Amino acid sequence: MTPAASKSSAPNCAALNCAAPDLVVPLAVRDLRVGYGAGDILKGVSFDVPPGAIFTVVGPNGSGKSTLIKSIAGLVPAREGTIHLLGDDITRLPANQRVNSGLAYVPQEHNVFRNMTVGENLKLATEFLQADRVATTTQREKVLEMFPDVAERLQLQAGNLSGGQRQMLAFACALMANPELLLLDEPSAGLSPKFVEQIFAAVQTVRDSGVTIFMIEQNVAASLPFSDTALVLVAGEVRLVTTADSLLADHDLHQLYLGRAA
Amino acid sequence: MIAQLAINGLITGMIVALPAVALTLIFSILKFPNFAIGGMLTAGAYLAWAFNSLAGLPLLAAAIAAVFAFSAIMVASDKLVFRPLRDRGPITLLVASMGLSFILENVCRLFFGNLARNFDIPIERPYRIAGLRINPEQITTAIVTLLAMAAVYLLLRHSPLGRAMRAVADNPSLAAARGIDRDRTIMWTWILAASLTVIAGVLVGMDRAIDPMMGWSYIITIFAAAILGGLGSPVGAVLGALAVGLVQELSIVVIEPQYRQAVSFVAIALLLLFRPQGLLGQVRIAR
Repeated sequence: MTPAASKSSAPNCAALNCAAPDLVVPLAVRDLRVGYGAGDILKGVSFDVPPGAIFTVVGPNGSGKSTLIKSIAGLVPAREGTIHLLGDDITRLPANQRVNSGLAYVPQEHNVFRNMTVGENLKLATEFLQADRVATTTQREKVLEMFPDVAERLQLQAGNLSGGQRQMLAFACALMANPELLLLDEPSAGLSPKFVEQIFAAVQTVRDSGVTIFMIEQNVAASLPFSDTALVLVAGEVRLVTTADSLLADHDLHQLYLGRAA
Repeated sequence: MIAQLAINGLITGMIVALPAVALTLIFSILKFPNFAIGGMLTAGAYLAWAFNSLAGLPLLAAAIAAVFAFSAIMVASDKLVFRPLRDRGPITLLVASMGLSFILENVCRLFFGNLARNFDIPIERPYRIAGLRINPEQITTAIVTLLAMAAVYLLLRHSPLGRAMRAVADNPSLAAARGIDRDRTIMWTWILAASLTVIAGVLVGMDRAIDPMMGWSYIITIFAAAILGGLGSPVGAVLGALAVGLVQELSIVVIEPQYRQAVSFVAIALLLLFRPQGLLGQVRIAR
């Protein structure tokens, strides 16, 4: 099913928490099946990410969250189903070409080039993209203003940054390409509580600048207050899609994780 | 005598530095020790010889033609041999590279025979400078290798291709997420490696002769240089090559020449005992 089709099928749309029909859905995933060996990790996942939202996927360990985000980024191939970015089918597009379509990805670990300087990391962020994605001076200044910690350390080797600073640099690199959709793989993983708050504040700032955020997170308590929509993924299947507030207030996550419907 | 041996050692080291850099680049980007480096040296030298002696081109033009032809051969070899095995681990790729080495050498043997060949260049007298005997080939070797090393350094440090190569070497998934085409970067890595080995093959051919086994006589020294410098570090490979060349030549003062390779390995073993990451291994951050 194409995103256009998904927009016209109202009942399905309500179930999947779709965007309003007149808006282009930044990310539409339909019946996605992904796996590594004989079995599937994702068993037919479908959802729409509304424009301008912070869309957070939560779920227990091994639920397929990382596989989902890697599949959207193009690092793990889809076996079945489709992924549409801003209405374009990117399911078979290699990872390096998805960036040109308006998608930026920040991996959980190893998210900067450790043996290069901060400045080189920023340069590389758009050096190999199509001309319209290459960072302008204004875009670079805007990004550096958003991340002053990064701006102060342009000559430093990225591997020598702290975990939080590296995460900020990874954000900055992703934003240099002026993406429409930013994929964040557990941005708070391994960070101190002080940095966790800073990271989610940065996520909100990025969203406020007009970028839609798709994020996976283990840290439900820290991430949901900053999120608009939440998807609960359990054993490779969508258990629930609702507003983040509703998930926190009205649902029992333990029950959802253990397999009982909300 | 020591000064003469030191000069000879430095020149040997300079020749070895070129394929050692090629080896270390392939290792860092494709993640396997390329045993075909010996066969590449042989095939590169034979191609240049064919353009020079059979086609009648001057040596410089023959070397440039060989660089283009051998780059095409190595890009095709990557497509046929290495790309289908890319995700099968370093041991599989190592064995495949040994197979490729045998193929390259035996194709040379098939077309050009087992006899030693020489480039069609005039024989020149060595210069005598302050009691030292310096061949014109040694001066050519020094100039060519220094220019090649400077070009590789500038390419890796200050060009978009160099940054792409370093990015793919550091983190291939992240490089893809930043829009870098890994296959294209790998293709350019083979072109660079092929060019360096052709240049080295021509320099070896000028210094001695071209025969099907010439690659094998250098392969251990090339690996030793790259490991000594810290596999994955091009500058380290150059320093490692110079160190191996010097140690091998200077050891003649104290032991029989046939044992000189053994001496360089003792030096390498000692260095690696105290610095397992090699000479420049520490600049790579792995946390």
